[in-house]
Amino acid sequence: MRIEFYGVLTEAAGVRHMEMEVTGRATVQDILDRLQATVPGLERHLPRVACAVGDDMVTRGDPLEADATLVLLPPVSGG
Amino acid sequence: MHITEQPIDVAALIAETSDPTCGALVVFEGIVRNHHEGQDVARMRYTGYKPLAERVLRELEEEVRERFQVPVCRIVHRVGTLEIGEPSVAIVVRAPHRGDAYRASEYAIDTLKHRVPIWKNDFYSDGTSAYQDGIPLSASKHDKAHT
Repeated sequence: MRIEFYGVLTEAAGVRHMEMEVTGRATVQDILDRLQATVPGLERHLPRVACAVGDDMVTRGDPLEADATLVLLPPVSGG
Repeated sequence: MHITEQPIDVAALIAETSDPTCGALVVFEGIVRNHHEGQDVARMRYTGYKPLAERVLRELEEEVRERFQVPVCRIVHRVGTLEIGEPSVAIVVRAPHRGDAYRASEYAIDTLKHRVPIWKNDFYSDGTSAYQDGIPLSASKHDKAHT
């Protein structure tokens, strides 16, 4: 699975995107839990992060395809 | 097109939305200012998640037109590095009467700030930079930005 970071998350993670090996069905929350354990810089941001796949927002309980791209969106500040 | 890396052409937005049924035209521009929370800002970089940002702004235009019964609402947001004084966002509303146009324009910018996946990164005069803290996105587009 591909994980993309935006805004302050690019600084916190130190990368703009990363790949994660996923076997079987995983929910958004499962992926966030793994990120929390493996990317320490993200820990304080994840509770306020929204997620998207393509142009759809997804919730913590939504299942993800193993080849999906999960997009992590921190609190927004447009305008 | 709602997200652009080019300077926003407000005159073109006004020209392309001309509507003889409308007696009111309200144009809102958000401008990059030179300070933020007591610090001198030299420039600002906007980044966005374009697939969702395009959808959010398209749906917000539709929502504003329906909610306020205004024939025209166009929203364009710029991304990239902007200098002080440059417009970061433009909202063009046309309505038969001014009251609806003012209210629709205010709702559009207030709601945009809660829904569009765009982020400000301030570059300060002392050489440091920081992302502005923002508003968490909700999975529901129907959440009210304000009451």
